[in-house]
Amino acid sequence: MDSSFAITGKGYAIVAADMTVSRSIVKMQYNEDKIKVLGSHLLMAFSGEPGDTVQFAEYVERNIRLAQIRNTYPLPPPSAASWIRRELADSLRSRSPYSVNLLVAGYDLSTHEPKLYWIDYLGTMATVPFAAHGYGSYFALSLLDRYHDPEATVEEGLATLRRCIDEVSKRLVVTPGKFKVKVVDKNGVREVEL
Amino acid sequence: MSIMEYNGGSVVAMVGKGCVAIASDLRLGNQALGISSNFQKIFPITDHIYLGLPGLATDVTTLKEQFRYRVNMYTIKEEREIEPEAFAHLVSSTLYERRFGPFFIEPVMAGLTKKPSGEYKPFIAASDLIGCLNFAKDFVVAGTASSKLFGVAEGLWEPGLEPEDLFETISQTLLNAVDRDAYSGWGAVVHVM
Amino acid sequence: MFTILVEYAMEAISHAGTVLAVLAKDGVVLAAEKKVTGKLLDLSGTKEGGYGGSGEKIFLLNSNVVAGVAGITADANSLVNYARTAAQKHLYSYNEDIPVELLTQRLCDLKQGYTQYGGLRPFGVSLLYAGYDPHYKFQLYHSDPSGNYSGWKATCIGANNGTAQSLLKQEYKDDISVEDAVALVLRVMSKTMDSTTLGSEKLEFATLTVDPVTKKPKSKIYRPAEVDALLKKHDLAKKDEDAEMKTA
Repeated sequence: MDSSFAITGKGYAIVAADMTVSRSIVKMQYNEDKIKVLGSHLLMAFSGEPGDTVQFAEYVERNIRLAQIRNTYPLPPPSAASWIRRELADSLRSRSPYSVNLLVAGYDLSTHEPKLYWIDYLGTMATVPFAAHGYGSYFALSLLDRYHDPEATVEEGLATLRRCIDEVSKRLVVTPGKFKVKVVDKNGVREVEL
Repeated sequence: MSIMEYNGGSVVAMVGKGCVAIASDLRLGNQALGISSNFQKIFPITDHIYLGLPGLATDVTTLKEQFRYRVNMYTIKEEREIEPEAFAHLVSSTLYERRFGPFFIEPVMAGLTKKPSGEYKPFIAASDLIGCLNFAKDFVVAGTASSKLFGVAEGLWEPGLEPEDLFETISQTLLNAVDRDAYSGWGAVVHVM
Repeated sequence: MFTILVEYAMEAISHAGTVLAVLAKDGVVLAAEKKVTGKLLDLSGTKEGGYGGSGEKIFLLNSNVVAGVAGITADANSLVNYARTAAQKHLYSYNEDIPVELLTQRLCDLKQGYTQYGGLRPFGVSLLYAGYDPHYKFQLYHSDPSGNYSGWKATCIGANNGTAQSLLKQEYKDDISVEDAVALVLRVMSKTMDSTTLGSEKLEFATLTVDPVTKKPKSKIYRPAEVDALLKKHDLAKKDEDAEMKTA
């Protein structure tokens, strides 16, 4: 039931993910952070099979960190996303595949632009201006088709994201509850209150 | 629901007079839900070969990267570009390697072969998901709109098309076929060699 | 024991054909002296096809790295093959050209291993790596048989490397352009090489720049005819003594 959204704008990317952990019809937790900070300019929202999600996110986090320690500089967002995608694609045809869907957002310091990647548990990857996973995507994507502006400021971007979250809260049978929102731009990663 | 239709997408290639063309749509979907309208399915392999990979999108990316690896190693060791015929067999054997757990892709290739006389001979080929090659003389189709593409191409294509006419023929074939397919569309790209 | 073997390898390299490279602000220039020459050597394969060069001293390791080798040619071929495979594996995993220092490290890890494990001899090869990546832009590295590597603005390996190094030290300027670097490399090369005259049968030459349109690294390994044209342009071409004798 988890929902996550992400958009890019002028020099930034914003990622939002709900904070509930549920088992069957019961909400077990309402303040879970489902957005990993993978580096100074890289974010990853993860959702999917409970257990797989955190395990895979931590595996990615540590491998990205290892690459940074070895090379002294971090993997650029396109390279990090490609590596993560390959891990999922290889996992799909292994004995125990991970069921994890991701939104990878980053700011590329060499090209000075934000990057956003939609990745699903099959290892499907698409470079997109905005993206969503989960039941929320059925509402959010059409809203974003209408309201997304690649030249929008962070404030305008956050307002567009607010629309998505409000719509999902209004229309979905089970309200996702609170959302965690993180922004990445040339200055790095920061958390914002919506 | 077939895995081959999970993400949607279609590719077509056609032979002309001393030229070839290959075209695809740009949609990436999750069944009926559209995710991206800019998903590349046709990739340049050499200066004289294009490869189209319609099918399961995760395998589109994996195979594109695997073919780039193998073609680069071939090029640097052989010190020459791979020929379309040789590349078609590389595609075939790469797919057959996974005979009992296949990549869900039906590749389409278009290329030009240099003859000893110096002129270029058009080449097209298609393969099923386990590497059975089809060297057609006229046109090849694949993807979720393949049945529609067959019909339109059969009606529009004729032998000996010049590059400009070939462009028009392949463009109209693709556009009209994907209009009748819910899983293809959302933009298109055409390459003429 | 193995330190001695490494010393031997280094000694052997100091007699090998000179390889010289200069890092410029907008590119890297690489030149090498060929040792296997003679009019009976069949070089017909180097005139066209491939990626240029005659394949003795200068090799394309990846689309963003060109290397010059000095030492045992057979060992060098094996290292070049290893480097090309490593570069393609990186491209496959990360969908990016391998960063230059990382490729240097890959080779050095291999070389270091052969100084440590029993029953093997080290690679008798030193390399110069001229490359480009988005992290540090243009770069020049040197690696020796022990697996040590270091970054340089201008350096030289092989025979007479001391002479060449001191010439480079005198003449190198920061912010040198590729054009000036080409002239500098040829000038130093002509002074350090044993032979009195320069020609494509004794010289391999390459540049690495960034294509102004595509913004992607572009390597150029000169073909024999292009090397001769370049030498002629810089007034270093050999006088064709045979031709003079014929006319006399």
